[in-house]
Amino acid sequence: MARPLPIEGDEEILGSKGVIRRVELVRIITKALYSLGYEKSGAHLEEESGIPLHSSVVNLLIQQVLGGQWDEGVATLKKIGLDENIVKSASFLILEQKFLEFLDQDKVMDALKTLRTEITPLSINNARVRELSSSILSPAKFVHVGSSSQSSTRAKSRSKLLEELQMLLPPTVLIPDRRLEHLVEQALILQRDACMFHNSEDKEMSLYKDHQCGRDQIPSRTLQVLQVHNDEVWFLQFSHNGKYLASSSTDRTAIIWEVDPHGELSLKHKLCGHQKPVSSVSWSPDDSQLLTCGVEENVRRWDVSSGKCLSVYEKAGNGFVSCGWFPDGKWMCFGANDKSICMWDLEGKELECWKGQRTLRISDLEVTSDGKQIISICRETAILLLNREAKVERLIEEDQTITSFSLSQDNRYLLVNLLNEEIHLWDIQGEVKLVAKYKGHKRSRFVIRSCFGGLEQAFIASGSEDSQVYIWHRGSGELIEALPGHSGAVNCVAWNPTNSHMLASASDDRTIRIWGLNDLKMKHKGPATHCNGVHYCNGRT
Amino acid sequence: MDVDPRQFDQVVVNDDDLHSVVLSYLVHNCYKETVESFTSCTEMKRPADCLEDMEKRKRIFRFALEGNALKAIELTQELAQDLLEKNPDLHFDLLSLHFVELICSRKCTEALEFAQSKLAPFGKVQKYVAKLEDFMALLAYEEPEKSPMFHLLSLEYRQHVTDSLNHAILENANLPSYSAMERLIQQATVVRQCLSQEQGKDAFSSFSLKDFLKS
Repeated sequence: MARPLPIEGDEEILGSKGVIRRVELVRIITKALYSLGYEKSGAHLEEESGIPLHSSVVNLLIQQVLGGQWDEGVATLKKIGLDENIVKSASFLILEQKFLEFLDQDKVMDALKTLRTEITPLSINNARVRELSSSILSPAKFVHVGSSSQSSTRAKSRSKLLEELQMLLPPTVLIPDRRLEHLVEQALILQRDACMFHNSEDKEMSLYKDHQCGRDQIPSRTLQVLQVHNDEVWFLQFSHNGKYLASSSTDRTAIIWEVDPHGELSLKHKLCGHQKPVSSVSWSPDDSQLLTCGVEENVRRWDVSSGKCLSVYEKAGNGFVSCGWFPDGKWMCFGANDKSICMWDLEGKELECWKGQRTLRISDLEVTSDGKQIISICRETAILLLNREAKVERLIEEDQTITSFSLSQDNRYLLVNLLNEEIHLWDIQGEVKLVAKYKGHKRSRFVIRSCFGGLEQAFIASGSEDSQVYIWHRGSGELIEALPGHSGAVNCVAWNPTNSHMLASASDDRTIRIWGLNDLKMKHKGPATHCNGVHYCNGRT
Repeated sequence: MDVDPRQFDQVVVNDDDLHSVVLSYLVHNCYKETVESFTSCTEMKRPADCLEDMEKRKRIFRFALEGNALKAIELTQELAQDLLEKNPDLHFDLLSLHFVELICSRKCTEALEFAQSKLAPFGKVQKYVAKLEDFMALLAYEEPEKSPMFHLLSLEYRQHVTDSLNHAILENANLPSYSAMERLIQQATVVRQCLSQEQGKDAFSSFSLKDFLKS
């Protein structure tokens, strides 16, 4: 069939940026058509464009491989004009198939002959030669453990062989499968990562236009004001399953709130007993228990469903300043005001203690969810990462005083709040390195906390002394929201780990605000009907 | 620092002990004629059956060393029926010798069949799998001497297997499986090593029999 004449304007390079080659684009479209099952269209495109998917030699190779003509296939390989090493590796693959198919048909001597005279002389991949040799003895009689059983000694399908050959051969010779799909996916993912408001699972991406979420995906409207504490609320944390929120206050109590399926919170238990302000709480890994820490006082363990205090942990002569759980829920970690960190079991027995300057008098403490590392602020400007197993200690050092920190869910990142109104994001895997900085909120006198949150923890939220809640897009560092509402410094924020649209904030104004999406229909309840101190409102004060 | 040779003179060595050491070495290695003449010269008592057993062992020994493992196995079964059953490692090693023979004489088909019938059953036990794979790999090479497993074809390997066989037979007959001479030299070497470790390096040089005998 005569090659059609080039159409006018039939340029080599396409696209406004001048980076797409026509030949490549047509070939991957042709390949995509064939993969989708549109054989006729694929063939037609090859004809019409005059650009064949594969050269005739390669087509022959494909035919021979699928047809089991191994010796011819190996001969054809040599005609393609490839690098010698690739020819050897590809020949090995083809001959291996020949060998295995012989074995499958019980033609043991033929298989052995192929191995001895054709495969071994290639002098590559001795380990595989050894495996193939062993497989001549019927595999059923062996106890295969380790590599012998993982790489198969049964013949794979011929199309799988073709796939493997394609990975070996340069892509210009044999177009990789699903290349067009891969390119499109890449573009979609890039769009998604660049989307600053991407916070909802069900936002599907379409190929028709670039993906861009609206601001309406970020919680920005007060849905509830929880007014029960009698004094400043310092700390908040959602349970791991997102069904409860625990808050703690200078009024010496902690409160467990329940989140109902509609996203409304109600008071479940008020935990009284501490004689000092409660500086922090910590949920057990299975969310059945809560630890509360009084400032330089004791730590109490509470049962979440009954609200009863199960244990009080004290250390003679020392008060505790922070608490955390180990992942098996059997051991706890406390920071003490003698600057040591200790590990206790539920009965109050001390298992291990790290003395020396491990923690400050007011300090944060976290245990990574694999139980391997304990993180604590050990000096004004440094955070200690203590690896219990490897007995290695690493430090994050800052130029400014550190006020608080927060660990990401994947244990990879640490968000550090500094005195100078910056929040720093550190990558703590391997060598610690500073990855991003977030600014905009206000902090001058108090400890302000920040947290990760939203879909795949793509956002950073923080409290601020100007009474607003600040939200940044983690990847780009852009400030996307500053939410007014509180009438006092916002000390702590917590994002619900199972509901990317729910954010909670705790303030010196004694309230906790629950923030949600702007488009939710609001319920209005009469002001005097329930006096559990929970108000619903429409987003204004 | 070396030991002062004059200190040796203070240690009395009994003649009988010396004779026993030499005899045990000769018996261990089946030097029948030498044993006969030695015992008559020194007027030592010879354990009964000793010569006969030695002769049998010698033959088994020889066949194994030559690579005629099947004959060695046959004779071993005659001598002590359940010996190979009790020592499966040894049994495997002997069978593998035969396999190697077949490979070296380029009889692949026979080798394969032999492997399938005799060696493969060992593959059910995990510890033999790696060894089995080593031997099977030889099949892949037209020139097994050039394969990564060429050491399996060597004389050293055959000697190693033969020695194991010798030990096993001696043990079975309740005779010492190591000759006294060998043990003495091993002892001296190890003691030297321990001493030099305790005294710090270079206090005692490692024991070398050659140097010792020359001094």
